[in-house]
Amino acid sequence: MVFALALAAGIWWWIGQSKMGYTFHAVICQPIVMALPFGIIAGDVGTAMKIGANVEMVYLGMVAAGANIPADECLAGCISIPIALLTGMDPAAAVTLAVPFGLLGVFQDQIRRTLQAVFAHKADAYAEQGNVKGIERCAVAYPLALGFLLRFPIVFAAIYLGADVVEKLLDVIPEWLTHGLSVTGSTLPALGFAITIFIIGKNIYLPFFIIGFFAVQYLGISTMAAAIFGTCIALLITFLRREQMAK
Amino acid sequence: MENTVEKKMNSKEQVLLTKKDINKSFYRWYFDAEVSNCYERQQGVAFCYSMIPCLKKLYTDKGELSGALLRHLNFFNSQGTWSTPIHGITLSMEEERASEGEITDGAITGIKTGLMGPLAGIGDTIDWGTLKTIIYGIAVTFGITGNVLGAIIPFAFMLITFFIGKNLWALGYKIGKESVKNILQAGWIKELISATSILGLFMMGALSASYVTLTTALKFKIAGTEIILQDILDSIAPGILPLLVVFGIYYILKNKSQKYGRISLGIVLICILGAFIGLF
Repeated sequence: MVFALALAAGIWWWIGQSKMGYTFHAVICQPIVMALPFGIIAGDVGTAMKIGANVEMVYLGMVAAGANIPADECLAGCISIPIALLTGMDPAAAVTLAVPFGLLGVFQDQIRRTLQAVFAHKADAYAEQGNVKGIERCAVAYPLALGFLLRFPIVFAAIYLGADVVEKLLDVIPEWLTHGLSVTGSTLPALGFAITIFIIGKNIYLPFFIIGFFAVQYLGISTMAAAIFGTCIALLITFLRREQMAK
Repeated sequence: MENTVEKKMNSKEQVLLTKKDINKSFYRWYFDAEVSNCYERQQGVAFCYSMIPCLKKLYTDKGELSGALLRHLNFFNSQGTWSTPIHGITLSMEEERASEGEITDGAITGIKTGLMGPLAGIGDTIDWGTLKTIIYGIAVTFGITGNVLGAIIPFAFMLITFFIGKNLWALGYKIGKESVKNILQAGWIKELISATSILGLFMMGALSASYVTLTTALKFKIAGTEIILQDILDSIAPGILPLLVVFGIYYILKNKSQKYGRISLGIVLICILGAFIGLF
């Protein structure tokens, strides 16, 4: 099972962060989505889903706008879910494992995007010759091959060799550090939400953020309820404004 | 009338793109948009890759084909689903260029670079800011109880964005370069953005309250009675610390720096250090 999980996770990170399919990859890169196949391999779908959902929470609002990504939720999930399944770690504790890997994954993306300039220059040369097949290789085959080398070995080795190490490590690392990492896990989602507010970029609508925030704090409504109320508020304001304009 | 007849006689035999060509181009874009991304050109190589099936059909002369390929290897960066009217327009312009030869390279590149910014802004707000976060947020509420639906629901995001992208691509080709500026000015797109912005911000508030938790462990002893700081904060309003953190980061993003990597590293360091000294 260790081998199968290591293989699956290695392939998952390779395929996921190769970003095939503009929004398809944005789905399969989510810890909560990969939890299902990992859970099937490990024979415990329920626990896997719980771990996946806990890790997913950290990355909920993260948006990769422009050239830089705030964290690599795909690597975070590919490492933390299999290892948590193998070591029987508590779903909430898996977050402490996910956080550092989520940060490490950012470097991989930077290396990838730096190196791939080489393929762009190669594509220029092929275009000069009118070589269509060559450009197609630069657009698909070369990036995929590079991605395999950059991604697969790391995750495969980390899980195949690392599960034992992690278990021993968790026994020896001091209490304050595990506590610190779990504090990080529950604070880091703030970055994602802040990025989204920044991207939406409409300061005059900020009171809606406050309404949403305290609707949950005081009334304890669920995400689904928030989506329903939020949609109605947004529609009401749009329609009322339209009515005002028609006058 | 006479003029157009004359023009048609002068021009080369006109090759028209079929619906199949247009769709094939879109599938290529959807598949490759981020695969070949590099800092220097961003989505440039993918843009060229998506144009290939149509360019091959339009330009049979090798020199012309080579020129067209080079034209589309240039820098391009936008949001993948909402930028697709650009690709559609580009195809219609290339089609016209191949037959009439009156459209310059500059005109095509100008449309691309001029529209990629505004459309990225729309796409980031609607797709990444609102749709994605709401759908994944709902998925988490299922996943947390061990429900498999948590892994299935996110695919709704993929289906919706694929549908939007495919239709905007075809729309761009149909309406051509003239009308896209009108679309950006049109009332409905402004209404859509303002409505999704309101919904997006409301949801960010709700999700922040659900998923950002931070409490302080600080205690004071004043005149023999122990005062727990968190209790005082809670008596003012629940969730003050998470709210401050979100707005604090937002302030940094808006006024100081948008280096996400550095900011998240900073958060990690502060949290671990805070745990070490007993602040959290």
